[in-house]
Amino acid sequence: MPPIVAFVGRRFARGGLTLWFAITVTFLLLRLLPGDPVTALASTNMDEATRQDLLDRYGLNDSFITQYVKYFGQLLQGNLGISFSQKQPVTEVLMARLPWTLLLTGTALLLTVAVGVPLGVLAATRAKSFVDRAVQVGGVVGQSLFVPSVGIFLLYVFGLQLGWLPIGGAVDENVYGMDWYASVAAHLVLPCISLTLISLGSYVLTLRATLIDSLGEDYCELARAKGLPQRTVVWKHALRNALLPTTTLLGLQLGFLVGGAVLTETIFAYPGVGRAIYDSVNRLDFPVLQGAFIMLAGTVVLANLATDLAYGALDPRVRES
Amino acid sequence: MTAVVSAPAEAVAEETTAAAETWRHFRSNPLGIGALVVMVGMALIAVAAPWIADYPKGFGTDVLVPPSSEHWFGTDTLGREVFAEVVWGTRVSMVVAFFASALAIAIGVLVGILGAYFRRLDGILGMVVDLSLTLPVLPLMILVAALAGPSLKTIVLVIALFSWPEVARVVRSQALTVSKLSFVEAAKVLGGTHRWIIRKHLLPAVTPVITVSVVLTASRAVLSEAGLSFLGLGDPDSWSWGRILYEAQQSGAMARAWWTTFFPSVAILLLVVSATLIAVAYNDARNPRSRED
Repeated sequence: MPPIVAFVGRRFARGGLTLWFAITVTFLLLRLLPGDPVTALASTNMDEATRQDLLDRYGLNDSFITQYVKYFGQLLQGNLGISFSQKQPVTEVLMARLPWTLLLTGTALLLTVAVGVPLGVLAATRAKSFVDRAVQVGGVVGQSLFVPSVGIFLLYVFGLQLGWLPIGGAVDENVYGMDWYASVAAHLVLPCISLTLISLGSYVLTLRATLIDSLGEDYCELARAKGLPQRTVVWKHALRNALLPTTTLLGLQLGFLVGGAVLTETIFAYPGVGRAIYDSVNRLDFPVLQGAFIMLAGTVVLANLATDLAYGALDPRVRES
Repeated sequence: MTAVVSAPAEAVAEETTAAAETWRHFRSNPLGIGALVVMVGMALIAVAAPWIADYPKGFGTDVLVPPSSEHWFGTDTLGREVFAEVVWGTRVSMVVAFFASALAIAIGVLVGILGAYFRRLDGILGMVVDLSLTLPVLPLMILVAALAGPSLKTIVLVIALFSWPEVARVVRSQALTVSKLSFVEAAKVLGGTHRWIIRKHLLPAVTPVITVSVVLTASRAVLSEAGLSFLGLGDPDSWSWGRILYEAQQSGAMARAWWTTFFPSVAILLLVVSATLIAVAYNDARNPRSRED
């Protein structure tokens, strides 16, 4: 088998395994937690006949294995159940919201790289200077930020006090054409900055550390000895190699970023999957909560798969390992 | 034979000097010491909360008053003192962080060490850890916390349940390097039981990693607790920093009264930043290479 096929196969298998793990953990948690879903669904003063009826209807009287198989089969058909509060299929409810979450986290991710790379390069090339110390302190503080605090601060200052940007929602009503895009962009600014700020810290710190390491390697020494300008050595030689571990970290951080999106969307009333989670917490709408987790896990798996494959295409070392 | 007998005694002596050396370097780092002072100060506030401020409850007549000499941190929509809420919140946030991280560390160390020592277990344990680290944890915590019902116990268990893989990963990689060293091999040849080797050789070797892990896991637990409480999954009967923010958002106070969100936010940031700085300073102090410069 050619190595590239084996590589792609391994990555797909890993993605599938992660998703299976996520689904199984959810299933086990839902079944093992004290109190069955019916008690959670209906009020406590329900008579035994109604209770049994509900248990039968949701298949909760079946054996453990049967339930697991059925659960899996439904998920494979894209069926995440019916929302308690909206009486609509969960898949429909969440699919309408997923694009907004993808837009928000995707933009935040791009912004993290776009701001993080220059900052990391700046700090690494001037190691131990004032700029470097400032970036390091900023990185530590950035890692320690609480998303809602950042969001509330930005909302208060730029939305309410200065009135520069909208404070909630994803788009104004009754705008079309170019105005629609402008409105979407304006609504995106504050949530996106909140999310970028919390992911930037560890990205910059990792990039700085790996870049300092690769700048000390022989091939960079050689490039300098050849008389290449420092700028070429940094950007073309060292950075290329330092980006690999940094991108792997970014992939690992995706789960964390998605959690940040839940909090950000809550503050800015941004109509994504995260805000649906917040609304469902208040309504105790468990099918939506469960569906949202599985859907977000799926998104993270797909995004990781995409970065892995892209990196495999760019870097032969990844393919072979 | 005498050499063999005296070896452990020497090791102990060396260990204490190493600890003293680390402390000496830690002390000379102003950021680390500053962070430690902040941390100890907050722990004291948590312990002494009842003597610092009355428990915030009921209704007050002065609603949404900005900070003044009378109301240090201002009041919220029900006229409760934000200062008292933050002080009592310190207690809840720190207690949750303490128990959640203790539990997460216990599980993480166990899994990490077992994985590194018993190579046959490593495949499955390592996979579970890897897979859990990829998943979006907060949505999963929310699902479980919502199902189990809001209480401090739920919050502690949920945070611990989803924080141990990170600990396990760090402990495992450290234990793995140690378990391949020849002195562990020698201990096996000498006929040491697994229990004895793990307790005498592996655990001491990973202790520094665990120390850093305790601080970082606890600070992340503070953030998780605040996040869950902010979404309304906290214990409605106890004040935590996240709950102050949650109530400010629910009542709309966050749009009109900056002080209702500013002070709890500063408290969270202070605690988490100082935890991170302590961990960084400790690592620097322990590492002879970074000491030289």
